[in-house]
Amino acid sequence: MNPYTALLPLPVAVPLLFAAIAIMVGVSRRPRAIQIQKILSGSALVINLVIGLLILSYTLTGERIVFQMGLWPAPYGITVFADALTGIMLTVVGLLTLLLLPYAIASLDKSRARLGYYPMALLLLMGANGAFITGDLFNLYVFYEVLLMSSFVLLALGGTPSQINGAIRYVVLNLMGSIMLLLAAGITYGTVGTLNMAQISERMGMAPYALQALIAGLLFVAFAGKAAAFPLFFWLPSSYHTPHPVVTALFSGVLTKVGMYSLFRTFPLFFPDLLVAWQPFIMTIAALTMFVGVLGAFAQPTIRRLLSFHIISQIGYMLMGLGVALTPGPFGVGFGLAMAILFLVHNQLVKTALLVGGGQIELEMGTGKLSELGGLVTSRPLLAVVFFLAAFSLAGFPPTSGFVGKLGLLQVTFSTGQYAVAAVSVVVSLLTTMSMIRLWQYIFWGKPNPQLKPRPRLAYTSTRALMLTPAIVLVALSLAIGIFAEPALTVTGTAASQAIDRAGYIEAVNPEPAPTPAPAVVQEVTP
Amino acid sequence: MTAVMLAALVGVLFTTGVWLILARGQIKLVLGLGLLSHGVNLALFGTSRLTRGAPAVIPHEGDLATILATQTFADPLPQALILTAIVISFGVTAFIVVLVSRRDAVTGSDLAPGELASLLNTADPFAAPMVTDALPAGVIMPDAVDDYDLLQYEIDEVYDRPQDAAEAKIQ
Repeated sequence: MNPYTALLPLPVAVPLLFAAIAIMVGVSRRPRAIQIQKILSGSALVINLVIGLLILSYTLTGERIVFQMGLWPAPYGITVFADALTGIMLTVVGLLTLLLLPYAIASLDKSRARLGYYPMALLLLMGANGAFITGDLFNLYVFYEVLLMSSFVLLALGGTPSQINGAIRYVVLNLMGSIMLLLAAGITYGTVGTLNMAQISERMGMAPYALQALIAGLLFVAFAGKAAAFPLFFWLPSSYHTPHPVVTALFSGVLTKVGMYSLFRTFPLFFPDLLVAWQPFIMTIAALTMFVGVLGAFAQPTIRRLLSFHIISQIGYMLMGLGVALTPGPFGVGFGLAMAILFLVHNQLVKTALLVGGGQIELEMGTGKLSELGGLVTSRPLLAVVFFLAAFSLAGFPPTSGFVGKLGLLQVTFSTGQYAVAAVSVVVSLLTTMSMIRLWQYIFWGKPNPQLKPRPRLAYTSTRALMLTPAIVLVALSLAIGIFAEPALTVTGTAASQAIDRAGYIEAVNPEPAPTPAPAVVQEVTP
Repeated sequence: MTAVMLAALVGVLFTTGVWLILARGQIKLVLGLGLLSHGVNLALFGTSRLTRGAPAVIPHEGDLATILATQTFADPLPQALILTAIVISFGVTAFIVVLVSRRDAVTGSDLAPGELASLLNTADPFAAPMVTDALPAGVIMPDAVDDYDLLQYEIDEVYDRPQDAAEAKIQ
């Protein structure tokens, strides 16, 4: 038996175990409970990252890892599954959560830590990891709920009026999305008689077109809603600026990207025909998402409100990649998906770096209002440089990862003849650059505001260094992907070719042929 | 006939749920979400064959295929799914109830900022600082400003008494 299969349940088990211990320690009210929680959290995140790297290194050879929970054969038990796409997501999310730990230690206030930030962040990681590795549609819904539940708590942690307000909007709109996902799972079971993703993939093509379209539509609404695509993004800008900055950074790196991952996973697997047939629809949604997002960013008065709208805008580029995922072109089938995965990773790194830097300024200066800030380039030169690099990576300047991702997406969109969408994406890139210049200029350029003094506790050199570390590492990674684009593309290319290889997936999971579902008729039985 | 009635009931639950969510007032929001999750649970129930008086557990004697073909049995999987979904929606509903009651305590009103703004005949909820005087005593507009002061380290006292935080913010 392949020793890597033993690793597969660990991305869920390790954070869960450590979070449970951390919660018990926190409830016990020991004098050093928070310190113990930090240590537990750190160990869990390091182990998780190592597991992610191991799974990635194995799956990059083109192999898949499959494990049947409880050794029940495929359609009866729950399948967990990893290919290169899973490995990439596990590694990147593990890296982000690990990098945000020193930031949280340096900046988080005591009451939020006492209320359980550290265990909740681990549970968020567990939910995300579960959504990455699961091979069962209902199990995916359950892990989404785990992810959402811990994100609800993290968002409301601290209980300030605007946080509670944002949390209500966030909870209600995400709950509607979850209801759609649950309904899709139910209709899938009623249609094809299974919830195992491999078996759904086998049988979905035989289902009537109307039912296929219904399931695909419900799944698209559910996942695109989680990913904050047009027109389902309203929960994001009304909630993401309210919690502590470390929570915003965590959410931007993990939450919306899980929705995107699920789209990349399920659509090529379940609906390869619909993905081609619905290309105009998906491309329209993508264009509207990026355009509306970037226009919204121009109207925003504070750092994190502005960056929240850019999260939405960038989701549009990934949807563009999904739209061209299976279209044959001069670059071969799957090139669009490879670029979209590269862009997803790039966006996770850069967006988190921006929110980490912006959050540091908001915390330290006590305000995020662009009109009040200014002149920070003299007092915080290193932060200014890092923020500049991250901002221009987001806008897509060479030699950063944003350039590679946007160029590839643009090429493949052009080659499939979607000229209007390609034009919109170019315009949006220009607008993003303008918005980023405006942001950087307001924060770092000009005269310092004499009324704004850095908060004493955050102005220590050691605290500043801890809070700056994640941004530096993330920007360095973004530059590395931009400069060594060829190896990065090979990695995402492997991931994309595995994600669209349905036959290989089905063969790896190898579900037993179950009895065909009986027709759905009402049977009256006399007792 | 049973299936038609079930479908109609699901439809009624969804309609009522959506209507309640869109109605003004936060308790209606909670009730609407509850009805929606009940609706989806019933829809899940309908995805298996509707049987009456048939057990979900079948005796494992003889050939499984013949048993499946000849005996009537209830599909246990949707029932398990519904149980899971009920537990999850219960937890989430409890969380929303706490959030809503908390907002009630913090803002002094069970209306959302947009709804408050519409009461005041202002289109923009962010324009609230100008119109807070027109609100009933004790009611504040939570969206009017960002809580930068509350994001700081010294929120320990504030956290335990949210009404003080609200007062501090009005001043």
